[in-house]
Amino acid sequence: MPDNIYLPELARIAYIKDEVYGERAIKTFRVEPVEGELFKHECGQCAMLSIFGRGESMISIASSPLIREYKQFSIMRVGRVSSAFHDLAVGDVIGLRGPYGNSFPIDDWRGKNLYFIGGGCGLAPIWPVITTAVAQRASFKNITVFYGGRTSRDIMYRAELEKLRDSVDVHLSIDKAEEGWDGYCGFVPAAVMDKDPVPDNAIAITCGPPIMIKFVIQNLNKLGFKDEQIYTTIENKMKCGLGKCGRCNVGKDYVCVKGPVYSWAELKHLPEEY
Amino acid sequence: MFLYFSASPRIRVNIFWFRLARLRFKIMEKILNKKHIDDWIAALDGWDIQAPVLEDDIWSYQPVGGAVRLDHPNTKQSPKGLAFPQREIFFKFEQIKGEAPRLTEVVPDERRHAVFGVRPCDGRGVPRMDLVFNDHVEDNYYLARRKNVAYVGLACNKPPSANCFCLSVGGSPVSTEGLDVQMTDLGDRYFVKAITEAGKGLMTAAGKLFAEPSAADQKQVKQVHAEAVAQPQRAVRNVEEVPAKLKASFKSPLWQELAQPCIGCGICTFLCPTCHCFDINDEVQSKAPLKGIRVRTWDNCQFPDFTMHSSGHNPRENTGARLRQRVGHKFQYFPENFGMPQCTGCGRCISECPVGIDIINVVNKVVENAG
Amino acid sequence: MIKIQDIRDTARDLLTKGEVRAVIGYRRGSRGMLAEPTFITSPEQADELVWDPTCFHNLSLYLVHDRKFLAHIRKNPEAPVAIVAKGCDARSIVVLMQEHYFKREDVYIIGVSCEGTGVLDERKLAPHLKGVQASNAAFDGNDFVFTTSEKLLAGHPAEGEKRLPAREVMADRCLECRIPYPREHNVVFGEDKTGRQLAEPFAALTRFEAQGAGTRWDFWSHHFDRCIRCFACRSVCPMCYCDECVVDSITFPVTTETTAEDKANRIRWIERSAVRSENITYLMTRAMHLAGRCTDCGECERACSVNIPLRLLNNKMEREAREQFGFEPGASIGGPSLVASFLDSDPGDFIR
Repeated sequence: MPDNIYLPELARIAYIKDEVYGERAIKTFRVEPVEGELFKHECGQCAMLSIFGRGESMISIASSPLIREYKQFSIMRVGRVSSAFHDLAVGDVIGLRGPYGNSFPIDDWRGKNLYFIGGGCGLAPIWPVITTAVAQRASFKNITVFYGGRTSRDIMYRAELEKLRDSVDVHLSIDKAEEGWDGYCGFVPAAVMDKDPVPDNAIAITCGPPIMIKFVIQNLNKLGFKDEQIYTTIENKMKCGLGKCGRCNVGKDYVCVKGPVYSWAELKHLPEEY
Repeated sequence: MFLYFSASPRIRVNIFWFRLARLRFKIMEKILNKKHIDDWIAALDGWDIQAPVLEDDIWSYQPVGGAVRLDHPNTKQSPKGLAFPQREIFFKFEQIKGEAPRLTEVVPDERRHAVFGVRPCDGRGVPRMDLVFNDHVEDNYYLARRKNVAYVGLACNKPPSANCFCLSVGGSPVSTEGLDVQMTDLGDRYFVKAITEAGKGLMTAAGKLFAEPSAADQKQVKQVHAEAVAQPQRAVRNVEEVPAKLKASFKSPLWQELAQPCIGCGICTFLCPTCHCFDINDEVQSKAPLKGIRVRTWDNCQFPDFTMHSSGHNPRENTGARLRQRVGHKFQYFPENFGMPQCTGCGRCISECPVGIDIINVVNKVVENAG
Repeated sequence: MIKIQDIRDTARDLLTKGEVRAVIGYRRGSRGMLAEPTFITSPEQADELVWDPTCFHNLSLYLVHDRKFLAHIRKNPEAPVAIVAKGCDARSIVVLMQEHYFKREDVYIIGVSCEGTGVLDERKLAPHLKGVQASNAAFDGNDFVFTTSEKLLAGHPAEGEKRLPAREVMADRCLECRIPYPREHNVVFGEDKTGRQLAEPFAALTRFEAQGAGTRWDFWSHHFDRCIRCFACRSVCPMCYCDECVVDSITFPVTTETTAEDKANRIRWIERSAVRSENITYLMTRAMHLAGRCTDCGECERACSVNIPLRLLNNKMEREAREQFGFEPGASIGGPSLVASFLDSDPGDFIR
């Protein structure tokens, strides 16, 4: 059947990196097409990755749309399918279908100051926006990244973040003090307050554990950020990714279609069911 | 009328073309003597026919070759399984580790199916399912099956169930929405009316079996239909006001109170003509080399783990939240997206719930409480 | 004859004195004559309690729900829960106690005897009413009395009464029941009609087994093919309380503490597909897991959306339990459960 929405394209694992070790291990994968080219995507969109025989998982595409050679996914080992991903080797072939969901309106943000606020593996969904903005650096004013992990070992994309310091203000934090850590110690929402970001001509993009997002938004409001200036990306359990299986809805919106990207102005009107 | 004006622009366009097409469509109304019904079925060469059969004390649609009776109340399960089966295989996969897998689509077969005895509530369920499976992107599997199914409806001279409420959700016991043919029982004969071209085709195939309706026939049909609509039914009150009232009731403690007896089974959703939730799973048949199938199966928002995240977080972690989801979907979210209630008032979820959770009661109580 | 006022007074009294925190009972539902489960927490609500032939639900299921809820919020019960229980239901409660699901003092059993007439089987009633709706059902000695009134559908009043001998429309399980009386109770209403059985225990099973193996396999294949895995049978059964059902690959109690390993290594014993092989495994395994535990409340068969005669499967196991071990689930509160114990006198003739 032409354009079978449930039939995945095939992609080969070209690169695997251990980002974070331990109980909440995160690995970064880069996949290349087996044949032809992979679909194009926009910042914030996701894809359904298949391990045949195990199942599918909806993962944010972590690479910038400007990169055509591969697509990047950072996957935390939490369950059945993600564990199978962690057992993969370079050269293994997986399935891929997408892109799904809406995207960050990055074009509307040209000429503005961007604040990225991430926690844990929440850096991955907003990473494409960060890297696209940096690639088109002249289009944006100040770019600041706040990113925190529980401990220094939970910080992902460490090397890439360090490389950004040339053109971006990077503020890393960890929850509790550690020997050898001279950055901020405390939760991410507090790390943000510590630097007093200014709302004028600014957009804040945040992603991380739900409790972090809640307090980040509260703090941003306190600093004078309006609801339309704050963006986030939410997640829900998904199976089809196409607004049909009925699982991921928050109120009338299927997160896989109308989301996962939302401004706080829109999100606060949806029922608290995510 | 409210249906048209409250609908989103996209739906208005669709309704407009549908109505235009109907206007251009030349009416075909005939009389079929009841003793010829099996002959009609026999004349439908190349069609697989399904009709209600009483087996194991329940009425269900089953393949029939003849001996068709249309004296059923309503079937236990809706006819949604013809276009949206309980289980279908998307594709087969075969993979040797390190190599690309071979994926083989399983394409639904091309045989045409005609299902007889479809009640108007189930008929109205069809376009509601069509909306879901066409919205945003087209579901290839659903459409491949759907285009080969014709629905031959049977008007309800009296309500088949004490829990019918089609009138209060925009339907009627004589509605033709979603049907290809409508039959009305006139005692010893049926008044048979084609609603679509496909329906006309079904009737034309049996040509000589059908007679022209007389003036008396036309009068009788009108009378039967008028009496049918006048039969009393249960009702959801003021369905147009329900979406806003439900929206205002998201945090109401009534949901948990009304859901307390709920046992979390799948009866209400599996039997519903418009419930469409599904799951996708890989089923492994052999490990080395890996061989298996990717399968779609009906799923159900009332199962406790339906929305459970892998992290252990469950946005709908009690029966109240899940009841609110189902009722909200039927009477708030679907109307907000498509301009009409998703529920067609067939009453199955009310009659079949093992513990008596009653959607009419739930909606009316929550709305009343919303003030 | 039971006076409903006695049940209501008992419930009101218990709640007023704070002796229990809730009373699980029956009240009139919104579907004509049918009763439905209710959970009352204040004395004023006691007047909604009813007792009639449509009180067929096994309310002990809700004791399990209550216990699970308490475990989820990590609280101990502050007071017992009272429950209206028929003979069959009281036996379920005993089994749950034998399995240490809760303690005897956590439950206040308001026993009600069906006085030998059992409860209604709606399917058996349907042909008698011929499509007319009943608005009320009542016990009357050896009969059930149905009030047929179209008042439900306003505008067409057609009052009438239909009296039927209970044995014509009572549930099959009630026909075979030997002890239609809640032996375990804190208070009980109604006479003990033990020994009034109308059919031999396992009568339906015996009739069924008289057929040849080929016929029986065809019969079961037909039904296994029809199962849609709505899981109503499991959901309505008080004994199916496992958080992790071994034959359900989807329901898995995941908490924030469940490790990735646990989730990754969870075996899928059956697939989601509702096909014969998976359905057989599901239904047979459930029957096996109920061996020695099923009190034949019949709810699984009543709830089944496609009318699979599930009692036959469970009864087969219970007859084995009775013949091999002399064991009857829920018959007496003392003693361990069947599968959690063995006696020296247990049959050993299968050991060669």
